[in-house]
Amino acid sequence: MNIKLIVGLTASLSLLGCEQKVEKKPIELEPEKPLYQSTYQPLPSEEFVIVNATILDGSGKQFDNATLWVKAGKIQAVGNDVKIPSGIKSYDGKGKWVTPGLIDVHSHLGVYPSPSHEANADGNEMTGPNTAGVWAEHAVWTQDPGFDLALAGGVTSLQVLPGSANLFGGRTVTLKNVPSITMQGMKFPGAPHGLKMACGENPKRVYGSKRQKPMTRMGNVLGYRNAWIKAAEYKKKWDDYYQAAKEGEEKDKPKKDLQLETLAEVLNGNILIHNHCYRAEEMAIMIDIANEFDYQISTFHHAVESYKIADLLAEKDICSAMWADWWGFKHEAYDSVRENIAMVDKANACAIVHSDSAIGIQHLNQESAKAMAAGNKRGLKLTAKDAIRWTTSNAAKSLGIEDKVGTLQSNMMADVVLWSQNPFSVYAKAEKVFIDGALVFDRDNKSANAVSDFDLGVTDPAGERL
Amino acid sequence: MRLIKSSLALSLLASLFTFQANAENYLIKNATVHTATAKGTLKNVDVLVQNGRIVKVGQELAVAGKATVVDGTGKHVTPGLINAATRMGLVEISAVANTVDASTKLENMGASFNISPAINFRSTLIPQNRINGLTRAIVLPGNGKSIFAGQGAAIKLTDTLEGLLSDNVAQVAAYGESGAGQAGGSRASAMKQLDQALSDADYYRKNQTRFMPGTDFKLSQSTNDLKALFPVLDRKTPLVISAHRADDIQRLIALANKHNIKIVISGGGEAWLVADDLAKAKVPVIMDPMQNLPRFESLAVRLDGAAKLYRAGVKLLFTGGGSHNGYLVRQSAGNAVAYGLPAEAAIEAMTINTAEVFGITNYGQIRVGMDADIVLWDGDPLDVTSNPDLVLIQGKNIPLVSRATRLRDRYWELKGNHEQAYQY
Repeated sequence: MNIKLIVGLTASLSLLGCEQKVEKKPIELEPEKPLYQSTYQPLPSEEFVIVNATILDGSGKQFDNATLWVKAGKIQAVGNDVKIPSGIKSYDGKGKWVTPGLIDVHSHLGVYPSPSHEANADGNEMTGPNTAGVWAEHAVWTQDPGFDLALAGGVTSLQVLPGSANLFGGRTVTLKNVPSITMQGMKFPGAPHGLKMACGENPKRVYGSKRQKPMTRMGNVLGYRNAWIKAAEYKKKWDDYYQAAKEGEEKDKPKKDLQLETLAEVLNGNILIHNHCYRAEEMAIMIDIANEFDYQISTFHHAVESYKIADLLAEKDICSAMWADWWGFKHEAYDSVRENIAMVDKANACAIVHSDSAIGIQHLNQESAKAMAAGNKRGLKLTAKDAIRWTTSNAAKSLGIEDKVGTLQSNMMADVVLWSQNPFSVYAKAEKVFIDGALVFDRDNKSANAVSDFDLGVTDPAGERL
Repeated sequence: MRLIKSSLALSLLASLFTFQANAENYLIKNATVHTATAKGTLKNVDVLVQNGRIVKVGQELAVAGKATVVDGTGKHVTPGLINAATRMGLVEISAVANTVDASTKLENMGASFNISPAINFRSTLIPQNRINGLTRAIVLPGNGKSIFAGQGAAIKLTDTLEGLLSDNVAQVAAYGESGAGQAGGSRASAMKQLDQALSDADYYRKNQTRFMPGTDFKLSQSTNDLKALFPVLDRKTPLVISAHRADDIQRLIALANKHNIKIVISGGGEAWLVADDLAKAKVPVIMDPMQNLPRFESLAVRLDGAAKLYRAGVKLLFTGGGSHNGYLVRQSAGNAVAYGLPAEAAIEAMTINTAEVFGITNYGQIRVGMDADIVLWDGDPLDVTSNPDLVLIQGKNIPLVSRATRLRDRYWELKGNHEQAYQY
């Protein structure tokens, strides 16, 4: 904001200073090439309806004995008075439930794939505390068998992040959970990048133990601030360059710096901040740093102590992505409470259930169920239509894709799960999963499901792994 | 509101009664009782607890003398649950080494490493687990420098040293990838170490007088470690061995037969592939049914593995949730049921099966004469939406309070930066 103001001011001052300045024609700059672009194409789909189902639309509404109509990969209509076109495929949803496809905002599938071993551990570039220039998508192994397992758990979109060893871990990528040889074929079209930042114990442990910066939480903050100062300078160079071109003035193109480019794009509002942060007072410091450098934090991840500052998080419009019950593995995870998610929701802050686990991602519905039950045991009255938001619309908001997925409203991408029953139960199973209207998982017709290259013939040369 | 009032009232009432005579007398009325016996699940049944024991299970029981009557209508009773593989009491914060006592780096301590003296019964893990329905745990050591990790204990989740039920319920060893790592990089050397140690222990036991100071017999382990294997050779305690790969498990069965010892497979990712061998050899399996990520030693791991083992007749002991959330063994069991395991078999895998394999007596079933380790659940005990309304450990009512619930209550109403510290 400030930078733009100054640029404007100097421009008008110089106009005043010159007696007869001739308006120069703006210089046409070659647009920046889009990089590693999504080549995602929806799989073949047919128009269909699911009838007689209990439908949770993801925005907080529940429809009983209702119909969902999907056409051309988009949600057409949902509700009790949907006029069903004749002659289209119909699934009976009696006794079953329908939700938007689940979205995991915190996954390391593909960058920490299964089988887990050093040779494919690609999530943490632990060579320096600021690796904002690395991109998770450059390391995604699309044949990670974890993708298929997550799909069987109803997960249709996921954000893959770098790990938390560094203050700035690198760019995140949001994927559609479809089989694909290339990462680009999974890349969620139009989803913004995220930047993974990390508070607390991890960066100071990784570098402090090598007697490098940062060794303390003080050093962490020094690292963030120094980086943002440089990023602001870098951004100004580019802003000046573009402004000059607009005014018809030829200027040398600034030299690209991949680390600073990522940070500058955060300051430009094009990359969202996903900040691994456990403790309440550290989150409050991170909020002040965001104020200092004029960027918005999208989401605090893990956010074990969000319940202590849920009002502040609501005021600042920052999401918290949380586990239902993990605790005690580190001191900064010692104050975990099973009601954290429910308490954040209760404060009208954006609550998200995340996994950070290739097992947890298969059971996000169960994690939500536990969080809901814990809140209700303490006196809240959360129901399925509330809890589903934690892995759908709220998650979509966190990733900046809330205009595309996360609810079953008209014209949204038809990412849909048909559950065997109320999904908030250990017994619930995703029976059918649709992505952009295409049936990509069918529990009743396994032979139609995709199988990863890894799984093929690995346990039985002639058979399937699962 | 009704829910919270009744549960608050219940715990208030319960905590009052713990300070009175006859505190251990409870009559739970009209509940669905998962007995973990051949009787299976009983509906609309009462359970009477006196002096820490279950004294009656039946319909429309009368109160004999003083007893707290608890309405179990619409609720479920199970034995207090047990997790078959934890580090409970051995770890407070996993990443803070000073608070972790699970293994030793000493060169000459393997099988003789006994973790019992290290168990901290005032750990915050104990209340957090018991208020969520776990009343007992098997506590096992981790591997240090030997392929033998040492001896494990059985505990009840109380605050005092009396919680130690047995200081030696099992010997623990590593096989598969981790055993190979312990033994220089190959399963072959790991197998040789296990085999040699058992042979040496047997030889040492039969020839102890020949091992006086000054003799120069070379043994593969220290005499202390060999002595620690005697209970295994005597079939008094099982050898719990971690393994996943199907043929690893088969070779361990052969090892057990050779030395005539009892083994328990821990992990068992591919155990279902050799379920018949396990059933025939009567080798139980400790597993977390939710662990379904393929590793190169468990490529065939799958969510219905537990159900397949059960159908073949293998005794299952469940673990899950690590130590901090050892109570989540219940979620793991529920998932096994979702993938084909009968519900009653899942309850048994968190109660009586573990009790039997590790020799814990008077625990693990709802029947007359058993210790009153009882949980009254507000719903299906295998579902993730259920929570305990009442937890008894040997008849003692456990207030449903932990450090986490104290923090929750402190911050339930956000009052401001300074005021919060006075909420307790």
